[in-house]
This record gives sequence, C-alpha cells and structure tokens, in this order.
Amino acid sequence: MNPWFMAWRMLRREWRSGEIRIVLLALIVATAGLVSVTALGDRLDQAFEKQGSALIAADLVVRLPNPPPDNFIARAGRRRLAHTLATNFRSVVLYEDQTLLTDVKAVRPGYPLRGELSVSVGAGGSRTVSGPPRRGEVWVDTQLLARLGTTVGRGVKLGRKAFTIAGVITLEPDRGGMGFALAPRVMMNEADLEATGLIAPGSHVHYRWMLAGATREVGAMRQWLQEHGVAEGELEDVRNARPRFRVALDRGARFLSLAALVSVLLSGIAISRATQYYARRHWDHAAIMRCLGATQSEIARIYLGQLVVLSLVGGLLGAGLGYVAQQALVWILPAMVGVDLPLPSYKPLLVGLSASLLAVLGFGLPAVARLRDVPAMRVFRRDIGAVPPRVRVLYGVAALVITGFVFWLADEAELALWILGGTAATLLLLALAAVTMIKALSRWRGGLGASWRFGVGSLVRRGSSTVAQTVALGIGVMGLLLLTVVRTELFNAWDDRLPPETPNHFLVNIQSNQVADLERFLERNGAGVARLTPLVRARLAAIDGRPVEPDDYEVGFARRMVERAANLSWLEVLPDDNKLVAGQWWEPGQWDKGLVSVEQDYAAALGLSIGDVLTYRVADRTFDVRVVNLREVSWDSFSPNFFLIVPPDLLDGFPQSHITSFHLPAERGDMIARLIDQFPNVTDIDIEAVLRQVMRLMDRVNWSLQFIFIFALLAGALVLIAAVQTTRAERRREIAVLRALGAQKRQLRLGLLSEFAALGVLSGLLGAVAAGLIGWGLAQFLFDIPYRWSAGLWVIGLLGGGAGIAVLGYLASRPDIEAPAWRLLRQSE
Amino acid sequence: MKVNERPIVRAEGLVKQVDGPSGPLTIVNDVSLQVFSSESVAIIGVSGSGKSTLLALLAGLDIATEGIVWLNGQCLDALDEDGRALIRARQVGFVFQSFQLLPGLSALENVLLPLELAGRDRADDRAREFLDDVGLLNRAGHYPSQLSGGEQQRVAIARAFAVEPSILFADEPTGNLDNETGGRVADLLFRLNREKGTTLILVTHDPALGGRCTRAMSISDGRLSEIEG
Ligand SMILES: Nc1ncnc2c1ncn2[C@@H]1O[C@H](COP(=O)(O)OP(=O)(O)OP(=O)(O)O)[C@@H](O)[C@H]1O
Ligand SMILES: [Mg+2]
Repeated sequence: MNPWFMAWRMLRREWRSGEIRIVLLALIVATAGLVSVTALGDRLDQAFEKQGSALIAADLVVRLPNPPPDNFIARAGRRRLAHTLATNFRSVVLYEDQTLLTDVKAVRPGYPLRGELSVSVGAGGSRTVSGPPRRGEVWVDTQLLARLGTTVGRGVKLGRKAFTIAGVITLEPDRGGMGFALAPRVMMNEADLEATGLIAPGSHVHYRWMLAGATREVGAMRQWLQEHGVAEGELEDVRNARPRFRVALDRGARFLSLAALVSVLLSGIAISRATQYYARRHWDHAAIMRCLGATQSEIARIYLGQLVVLSLVGGLLGAGLGYVAQQALVWILPAMVGVDLPLPSYKPLLVGLSASLLAVLGFGLPAVARLRDVPAMRVFRRDIGAVPPRVRVLYGVAALVITGFVFWLADEAELALWILGGTAATLLLLALAAVTMIKALSRWRGGLGASWRFGVGSLVRRGSSTVAQTVALGIGVMGLLLLTVVRTELFNAWDDRLPPETPNHFLVNIQSNQVADLERFLERNGAGVARLTPLVRARLAAIDGRPVEPDDYEVGFARRMVERAANLSWLEVLPDDNKLVAGQWWEPGQWDKGLVSVEQDYAAALGLSIGDVLTYRVADRTFDVRVVNLREVSWDSFSPNFFLIVPPDLLDGFPQSHITSFHLPAERGDMIARLIDQFPNVTDIDIEAVLRQVMRLMDRVNWSLQFIFIFALLAGALVLIAAVQTTRAERRREIAVLRALGAQKRQLRLGLLSEFAALGVLSGLLGAVAAGLIGWGLAQFLFDIPYRWSAGLWVIGLLGGGAGIAVLGYLASRPDIEAPAWRLLRQSE
Repeated sequence: MKVNERPIVRAEGLVKQVDGPSGPLTIVNDVSLQVFSSESVAIIGVSGSGKSTLLALLAGLDIATEGIVWLNGQCLDALDEDGRALIRARQVGFVFQSFQLLPGLSALENVLLPLELAGRDRADDRAREFLDDVGLLNRAGHYPSQLSGGEQQRVAIARAFAVEPSILFADEPTGNLDNETGGRVADLLFRLNREKGTTLILVTHDPALGGRCTRAMSISDGRLSEIEG
C-alpha cells in the first residue's frame, strides 16, 4: 500500500460523505480572511506611498549640484523611470522700478511627475496644469503680486530677459515642507534659462532631479544612486521630506500591520480548532485501522497526507476567495477609499498561503502524532487516548513556527512582540480561568435549574475541550476587540493631533516694534491669540574655534545649513512638542549664559556633540554658545520649530525679528491683503493649500484604515463562526442521547444557551482584559499616544462576547435540536 | 483434534494487570490455551469477566503483563508494534460488538479498507464479492448511518473476511442485535468460517452462541477453563 495514495483516496471518500467539509470550510475561511486583509493592506500601503509622492511631485528626488550625468539618466531609462529636472536658484525680479528677491524654479515638460500643479489664469479660476509655462511666460505666487503690486498679464524682468506673468500658482505640490520658504516664487520654462544669463559658474544653483515609477524600480534606483556617490541625505522621498506625512504613513502602516496580525491570530484559531476537530473525528478511525493492520507510520502518513491535501486545497481556494473578496470590495466601494488602489503584489497571496499551510502543519502535526499514537485498544475502551509527552513538544514547535511567522509579517518587532506577548499571556490567563471555572462550576452545579445544570454540566464533563474552547474564543474576542474598540481608541487619539485650527499661515520678518500692533491686529481680525516667537538670524562662523566655510562640507544638508543664516530663537522652557534626547535644559539662573540647545539631526549633520562651542556672527558682532543638550522635534505639529534654541536673555540687544503662525478661517481670506498693507515688510506664507493637501491625504488614509478594519472585523467574525461550527459535532451525540432520554427541546435549547453563555462571558471578560492591556501597550510604547480606558471595551467584550458566543454556539447546534432524534443517534454512532 | 498438528493460536501463562484506584487489578489471570487451524472456539463469560481483554491479548492489540502469545507460530513478544500490525494485516480479522465501521466511508469503502491497507490487487472486485456474500451488494453506496445494526454487522463481517485471514476474532458479534438478526449474523459468520477454512475465536456471554462452536471455554474473573462437551 502506498500511504499517500491511500490518504488521497480516503480523503476523497470522506469528502463525499460530508465528514470533513467543515474542516475544509474552516481552512478556506481562515485563509480567505487572512489573504483578503493582507492584500487590501498591501494595496493601501502602496496607495499611501503613491499619494504621499504627490507631496514632493515625484517618488524620489535627487538633490544635485549639477544636472544629472548621462549615466544617471541612462540608468533611470533602463529602470523605466519617468524623470524630469527642476533648477532652483535665487534671483532678483525687476518690475518697473522695484526689485524683489525671489525663489526661481525652472522646470521641464513632465513636471510634476506626481500630484498636481494648479495655476489660476485671470478670472477663470484655477486649472490643473502640467509642464512648464510657455516660453517667455512665468507663473508666480500671490505673495509676489502683493509685494510688487502687480497683476497677471504684466511684464517682469528676470536677468537679461523679459517675461509676462501668465498665471498665479495656487498649488505647487512640492512647495510645502516646513523649511521656511521666505521668498516669493517664480516658475519659468527651463528653455528660457540660457537667455536670462543668470546661470553662471559660482551662482548658487540647486538641481532637483525627480524620478517616478514602480515602487521596486525606484527602490533599486535609489540604491544604485547611493552606490554611485549620491549621499543618503541628498535623496528625498515622501518619508524624509514630509515628516508630518511620514508619521501618518508609519502609523497607517502600523494599523495595517495590526489588522493583518489580528487576522493571523483569528485564522490561527480557526485552523487550530479545525485540525483539532479533524483529529478527534479520526481517533476511532485510527484505532480501527490499527486493528485492520495499518502500522503507526502508515497511519501517520495517511493523516499527514490528508492534512497536506486539505491545507493545500483549503489554502488555494481560500487565497483565491480572499483575493476575489477584496477585489470585489474595491470595486463596490471605490468612493470610500477615494484612492486609486494599485494591484496587490504577490506578497499577500504568498503570505496567506504560507500562513495557512504553516498553521495547518503547525497545529496538524501534533494532531497527527496523537492519531499515530492512538492505541488499537480504543476499539474496546473508548476512554483510551492520553496525550503522549512528545505531542506537547510538537505543540511547542507549532507555537514557535507561528511566532516566527508573525515576526516576519509584522516588519516591526515591537508590534509583533506586543501582540504575541499579549496573546501568550491571554492564553495562560484563559486556560487558568477556564480550569478554575470548571472546578467552581462542578461544585455549584447543584443549585441550578435542570437546563442550566445540563448546560453547565457539559462544560464540566468536557473539561479539556472546554478549556481549549474558552482559550480559542477568548483569543477570538480579544482579536475582535482589538479591531474595534481599541483601534477606535488609538485612532481617536491620533486624530486629535491634527485639529481643524491647525495654523495655515506663517508670518515672518515681523520687527520688534510691530509686535504689539500685529498682535492687536490679529486678535481684532479673529485670527486667535498667536504666539509671536522672536528670532535672531545668525551665521555659523566657527565650531570650537575652527572657522567654518560652506566648502568644508560636501553638498547636502550640512552645506546648506552653513551657507544660509540660521534662525536662533530663545525659550525659557522646553516646548511640548520637543523632547530632550541628551543633556540638560537650562535653569533660570543660566538665562544669560552662552548655551544652546540643538536639534538632533542638525547636530548629526554638522558633527556636533554636547560641550562643543559654536561661534555665530550677526552683522559685525559675534557670540559664543556651548551645546548643552540635543532635542528631538515633532515637525508635524505645524507650529514654528527651530534647530537652535538659546536661553531667554542671551540675545538681548541683537537685531531680532519675530515669526508667528495662526489659523485663518477661509471666509476671512481678505485679511491678508489688509495685513500686508499695514505691515508692508511682513511676509505671509500661506500653507493652507499644502495643509489641505496633507489633510486630504490623511483623511484618505483614515478612511481606508477604517475600511480595512471593518473588513478585517467581518472576516474575523466569519472565521470565529467557522471555529464555533466545529464544536457542533462534539455536542451532537450528547444532544441525541438526551433527546432519546426524553429531554424537551426547550430544555436542550436553554441548556445549550447557558453553556455557551458561560463560555461567552468568561472569554468575553478575559478577552476584554487582554485587548485593553495590549491596546494600552501599543498606545504607550508604539504609537506614542495617550490611551484612555473605555467602558465600551468591557461592555462590548462582555455583552458582545457573551451574547455573541451564546447565539453563535446555539445557532451552530440548533439543527441538532430540531432534527428527529433517531436520525441524530444514527449519525453520531 | 489432531495432536500432532501445530496450534495456530497458542497462549502460555497470560496475565494482564492494570492499575486500579485501589491497587493493581488482575483482569486476565494465568491463561493458557491452544487453538488449531479451522477450529471455532468460544470463550464464554459474564460481563466484566475479562473476555475482551483476553481477545485483545490473543490478537496482539494489547500487551500482556506476563505470558507469551504465538500466532501462526510467530511469537508476538518478539515483534514490535509494526510487526504485530503486519500480522494483523495479513492473517487476522476482527468483528466487534459495536461494529466499528468508519462513519465517513460507505459500506463498500469500509470493506475495501483492509484490502487496500494490505495492498491487495483487484480490491474492488473482491470487496464487491464479499459484500455480495453477506447479501448487501445493493447497499454498497450507503453509509453506516443509513444501515440497520444487523446490516452494519454484516458489512463488518464482509470486511473481516475480505482479506481472507487465517484467524478471525469476534467480540460479542451479536451482542447489539435482536435474537433473530443475531441468529442470521451468526449463521453468516459460521458459514464463512466453514467455507473459507478460517479459524474462529469468539467471545460471548451467550451460551447458545458459544454452543455453535466446535469447542467452548468459559472465563470467570479472568480465569479460563475448558468446558467439556
Ligand atoms: N485499562 C483498564 N483499567 C481498569 N480496568 C479495566 C481496564 N481494562 C479492563 N478493565 C476492567 O477489567 C474487567 C474486564 O474487562 P473486559 O472488557 O475484558 O470485560 P468483558 O468480559 O469484555 O465484559 P463485557 O461483556 O461487558 O464486554 C472489567 O471489570 C473492566 O472494567
Ligand atoms: Mg467486552
């Protein structure tokens, strides 16, 4: 006999008889849930990245001191990447007899590669354009018009060439960012560059080479560029260019990870229940086959073969179904996501399939080992079949396999640790509680009514099975609660961080003698109380006595920092959105001392550490400050933040200006014109458009996450239902016998309900405790947000878990109560 | 009984002890016996006397605390579990009180199972033949839950004879059946036993059934004694 062939034959036969359909169904549902959630997550993840790319107008931007060399361009072509070049420099614009320093950007066809550029021409409103202005024309921002007092259609001169202002830029995708763009914008066609005569050796020109294409190709290009002399810091993608959005992306990715991990857990439960059910159903088979002369290894191979076939078929069908399900959802509800979803990569299919296979083998091998060890004597005495010790070892292996798998899936060890640790603790807790409950119930049973006695009695009678079930259901409730209540908690806390009154305007260049007037102006105009922050613009002259020149640094962040004047601000206390990472903040007694607090990335770029002495120059005066601490700055707070902060009294007497940010409601847009009228030297930076863009993207991320969680929840509930279904067979015989003994249907129903209610309350309660603890841990240590314990968790856990499981379990076994007793008795033989 | 012939089943000083709540319990106590080819032997005893236990020991399903069993000259003690399984596959058939058909397999598939496990060729034809022998070919596609008790036991008998074992062990084969059905099942068992030349070892509490065997022994409290008749 060939055991593998035998396995296949027996499987086919048992399939026909309907015996193992529930097992396969559970496997399919488990895999489908897992695959659909991970596939959707993968698509959202990709979509987020693409959406984020709109914020820098490309997938990858390379900052270069010169236009890209030919080999760069050839390589981009080979990787099928779209690319374009933007040339940035500062130049004076001439209008009638006025001059204005502007940020000029010369672009080529193709710009922007991602996102959209909106330009308003005349009264026609904004339209989305791509590519450069026509030759001889420029687009400018409102600031330039206001400062020069000109309008669209007039002429300006840039270098040696005259241009016509053809439109006003209302949204420039890659303008945002929190580095202060102090000068007004002029956008021109690269083809006109030559004629201006502005690009000469020695002029400060920055090139931004923009690339876009498939995620994998962009990644490969990035690596190639680094291998070919481009420093890490010169490569910009949405993650490092837009910290605010990076945070959103990372949190989004984490939520997706969370959803996927919980799906793994729920699927794992269903699979473990299914294999357990499968094994139980085959104990008698194994014993009989032993009597018929099958050797233990043959039996092991037969059942192993069956499991492998079952898991392959279940895995493949489930993966297909999951794929179709998420695709159907994306078709049905495109408006909900609001994002064009890229097709999922092969990864989720692979993940789903391998997870399902691993789980089936992980849980199935111990089951097969038990089947292999079922003694033939079971045909005489049904009580035989204790767990031999090596099965425990195999369960350990299963746990290890699944642990490794979760780590692989999570990308992030901490998240995996919390989920796994929480699950392991919950498992123990649940097992302990179940054992205790069984002990307690067996003592109190006497005081209950007949139906309750029967229901509760079944729990006690099926001791080990009850424990297994409580554990499975408890973990299931925990997973579902993580997906609903806890997730909402985390989500709300996250949303709180971008309130509607987030500042959308920055005012810079405010002179000291204007502070009082401006504050009054803002207050009168309903812009709220704005905090005016003073700053001194100073140039870094020396570090530890060594003079500093831009040429000491290679191109890049450090060089740009040295090239331009730094903004130093002063504060008494550390702002809320900053965090000390090294050193000490100053005491009131040190307020006039030469100390400085440095942002950590800035310090790293310039190679600064605590104790270094920096010399700054303002006009013809210099002063020294010693680095006393390093700070981490939360750039996503949209309020002014500084690389350098000094104690409050140090810079008294230096020429200073102020900046502020405030929220201007849309309906008060006219205020800015009056403001500039009254304070002509003050520059207004309108980040409303950028902010709106970011908020819209974050809204989409939020929506999409809600969507996937609802989906994961449904999938999880289905998976749990499949798990509960497998308990039906265990009860069938008992119900049949009781029916035969004259039990009323009503009594049986009550009995079943009470049994599942007891199970449900216990697993609901413990599931809620576990979900709360895991949620707290995630909030505290991973998401970095405050966590509020909610009553909802308990209410939903207890009521939802208790009632839900009672109803589910009852419904699963109901057909057995309703069916004629004689048929049941036969089926349960 | 031919004295010079070698017994097909032989047991010497069999003892089975198990750990009970109040110390060790002896279920089978110093049993020795010899059964010769084509004999039919009944072991008769009341419930709890140790019949099933003894049967399991003789068939090599269980291991004795003391004593030795030979099947077809093979000493079971000298074999490991796989070796004993091989003997069961080739030479031993079983019929149980509670039928022990696999619920997920149809009648025909149940009969096929031992044939396939033993790797016999023409398994399907054989299985049909034997199912026909017990008069159930028309029910070949039915599942155990769709058959009556007597029918199930007939399927079980077909399954037991299908591999043409040299020894057949039957544990209360009619215990779950009414008199008339039990009688017909017993007829079937003895007919096949005669036709196929199988050695039959049958345990029962029913002296009438025992009386149909060529030889009868009685067991009480685990001790075996020959009934002269
Ligand atoms: N593993 C065991 N542990 C404890 N007691 C056992 C064990 N196996 C058998 N017994 C006991 O030994 C006695 C004999 O059991 P056995 O099953 O052989 O009886 P039997 O003669 O077949 O009875 P019946 O006619 O009811 O089937 C019984 O009292 C039984 O409870
Ligand atoms: Mg018995």
